[in-house]
Amino acid sequence: MDQIDKDKYYKSLSKLDLIFRDISSTVTEISKWRCPYKNVSDRCTAKFGCRNQNRTDEIQGLYLCTGSDDLDYRSAWDS
Amino acid sequence: MPITNQTLENELDNVANSQEKAHIRKLWDHADSLMQEISVNLIQGNNIQVDELTKQALENGFDANTILDQGLIAGMAIVGIKFRDNLIFVPEVLVAARAMKAGMVHIEPILSASGIEPIGKVIMGTVKGDLHDIGKNLCIMMLRGAGFTVIDLGVDTSSEEFIEAVEEHNAEILGMSALLTTTMPNMGKTISSFEEVEMRDLVKIMVGGAPLSQEFADEMGADGFGKDAISCVDLAKQFVENEN
Repeated sequence: MDQIDKDKYYKSLSKLDLIFRDISSTVTEISKWRCPYKNVSDRCTAKFGCRNQNRTDEIQGLYLCTGSDDLDYRSAWDS
Repeated sequence: MPITNQTLENELDNVANSQEKAHIRKLWDHADSLMQEISVNLIQGNNIQVDELTKQALENGFDANTILDQGLIAGMAIVGIKFRDNLIFVPEVLVAARAMKAGMVHIEPILSASGIEPIGKVIMGTVKGDLHDIGKNLCIMMLRGAGFTVIDLGVDTSSEEFIEAVEEHNAEILGMSALLTTTMPNMGKTISSFEEVEMRDLVKIMVGGAPLSQEFADEMGADGFGKDAISCVDLAKQFVENEN
C-alpha cells in the first residue's frame, strides 16, 4: 500500500477546512435571501413538500420553485 | 503542463478575482491532465467519474498528496469561489462534496496505511418527523473535511436508529439536527432514550438547527449546541480534544 506524506496531508486538510469555512459562512448569508434547497436551475431539491413547488413542471424528479425569494420561504414548507 | 482541459479553462473563467485566478491557474499549470479531469468532474458534481478517475490516478502511480491537492481540493476551491459569487447554490455545493467523498474513498486506505486515523467517528441524522437535511449535510461536509468519519443516518431518524448506529459503529459523537419547532422535542426524547439504555456516558451529543438555542440544548441535556456548520465541527474537535 502506498504511503502519504503526513505533513503535506495535514496542510491539505487545513486548506480544505478553510474552503469549507468560507462556504459555511456564505450559506449563512445566502440563506437570508434564497431558499437553500433551490438549485442553480431554480429546481427544488427538498425531500419534503413546499407550496412553492410547481408540481406540473418537473425535470428529473425536481419541481420548479416558484418562490420569489422576496418573502421568508420557510413559511411555505409543509413539514 | 498548462491547462489542457477546456472545461476547466471555462470554469476558471468564472473566477473574477485576478489574484485568485492566478493562484489556482498556477496550481493547475503543474498538474497532469488527469488531475485536471478530476477537478472538473468534482466541480460538476460527477461522483461516479471522480470515483473512477481517482482510482485510475492511484493505479497510474500518482501519489495521494498530489491527487488530493491538484485534483480534489483544487476543484473544491473553485466550487467555493463559484458559491461565494452566486454562480452556484447550496445543492450544487453538496453535490460537489459528494463527489469529493467518492474520491476520498480511495485515499482513506492510504491514510490508514500511513498511520493517519480519523480524528473521531460521528453519527449524524435529522430527528424523527423532520425531513430538512441541508444543515445536517453541510455539517457532514465540514466534519469529513476536518478528518472525521461520519455515518449519515439521513432524515426522520428515530431514537432507536441513533442508538443502534452509535452501538454498531462505536461512535464517540452523535449529532442531531432539527429545523421545526414541532420536532425539536424529539432531540430531548432521543437523549432520554440513551439514558434509558445506559449509553448516555458513551457518547457526546451535539444538537443544531435554526430554531434551537444554547438554552434549549442545555435544557434537554445535550453536551453542545452548534449554531452552524462551523460551530458543529469546532464542537466535535473540542469533544475529541477533551477526550484525549
